[in-house]
Amino acid sequence: MTLAARFLGGAKSRLLPASIPFRYFTAAVSFHVLAWLVLFAAADELPGFIGGPGNVLAAIHLLTLGVLVMTAMGAAFQLLPVATRRPLAQTWPARVSFWLLTPGILMLTYSMAIGHETAMIVGGIGVVVGLVVFAVVVADNLRRARDMPIVGAHGWGAVVSLAGFAGLGLALIANFSSGFLPDHQSASIAHMILAGFGFMGLLAFGFSHVLIPMFALSHTLPPHLGWTEFWLAFAACGLATAAALTDNPIGLAVAAVMGLCASAVYVWLMNTALKTGMRKRLGLSFVLVKSSWVALMICLALGLAIVLGVPIPNGATLFGFVLLAGWLLTFLTGILQRIMPFLASMHVAGAGGKPVMLSELTAENPLKVHAGCHVGAVTLCSLGIIANSGMLVRFGAALGLTGALAFAVFTFLIVNRLR
Amino acid sequence: MPHPLANEWHAADGIHIDVRGLSPPEPMVAILTLLEHPDTNDRVFVHHDREPVFLYPELAERGWHHQIVAGEPGEVRLLLTRQE
Repeated sequence: MTLAARFLGGAKSRLLPASIPFRYFTAAVSFHVLAWLVLFAAADELPGFIGGPGNVLAAIHLLTLGVLVMTAMGAAFQLLPVATRRPLAQTWPARVSFWLLTPGILMLTYSMAIGHETAMIVGGIGVVVGLVVFAVVVADNLRRARDMPIVGAHGWGAVVSLAGFAGLGLALIANFSSGFLPDHQSASIAHMILAGFGFMGLLAFGFSHVLIPMFALSHTLPPHLGWTEFWLAFAACGLATAAALTDNPIGLAVAAVMGLCASAVYVWLMNTALKTGMRKRLGLSFVLVKSSWVALMICLALGLAIVLGVPIPNGATLFGFVLLAGWLLTFLTGILQRIMPFLASMHVAGAGGKPVMLSELTAENPLKVHAGCHVGAVTLCSLGIIANSGMLVRFGAALGLTGALAFAVFTFLIVNRLR
Repeated sequence: MPHPLANEWHAADGIHIDVRGLSPPEPMVAILTLLEHPDTNDRVFVHHDREPVFLYPELAERGWHHQIVAGEPGEVRLLLTRQE
């Protein structure tokens, strides 16, 4: 084998077998359907939800672990080696992580729904071990990386947050019966901040620095603003977590302002990429991505208003819903509908077959149904939370379920082309 | 207009573009900018420091075929040709 061929072998290996990212994506799409289904069943409980076992807690974790984390992991396993120019040392941990997480999430969420604490602990341990495997793989890749330090910094921030939210998550489960935590509610808020903003938020921000310019075909974004965004976001997550654990509203307010500043810099950077990029028509996916940025700003403004004492009916529940469904789910479904055809196209071409065009792999009609239903679902459920109306939430969840099924059809058509 | 960071030159066998050392997505932007230029002929050689896997779907979408050809050690050289 020549030196050039050996180099190419290394370069090729940065593209994982299609089965690895797509097993995560198909699982995420399945959990997406399940999450809206469980929320539909628990619609009356959502507006007044303040924590504790039940269907709402199960729906939340089907969404966070099942959809958001699965999507992020599938994308990270595939995109990180390409972004950092360092192939994964081994691919088997990506498979092991999946087989720990999937049954773990099913057991955890089912036991949350029925309130079975032992099963929650067993499922939770499966999830945490799966996440630890993922964190080790990502940390090993970042440690060897020489390119894209801003993406790497976000990755490290996400790994640190993962350790925090996973540990707190297990502690919260154990606390249901033992009650050893001094304040369950404060620990729940810290867990949500670390998971939603620290882990998922930093991953979304970090990968945006690669994906948005790549999809828009724009020049590299100004690094000093990228670093400003990262440090503001990372410090905001740290401060918010500490403030939540110590029940300090001033700290939470300062963290919300820092988070708003970080998000403003992030949105400005991404809009710059969209405005200056060669590709002007970005399609429906970017309608969702831009909507998610609006939801992010609304979410942080809501958080600030709540800690400042502005009376918002069911404000804490609304904040959590806008964070998870408005910002993160909207963003990830927007990105996922672009990267799935993109990856599928690379794999078909990589196998030596005739290159398949992206447009051939993208079924527009299911995506239109999904986008319309998703935006309607987020809006109706938010209104239902404010109005304390289980009926509105149920209509919203029905729309969300319809959209999730349409997204599943879109995914099935892509996976079918990969066979 | 050529990409400000990429090195482009004409040779007897086609147009060459060297994108080595550029951070993503600059190589992709430089290559696609060149391909979309009306004066670009049907053969383009890309000198890269990695296999540009994310470029391939974009090439297919624009009707270009890619083939890896022999290059210098540590270089990935692609020959891009317009599909019939």
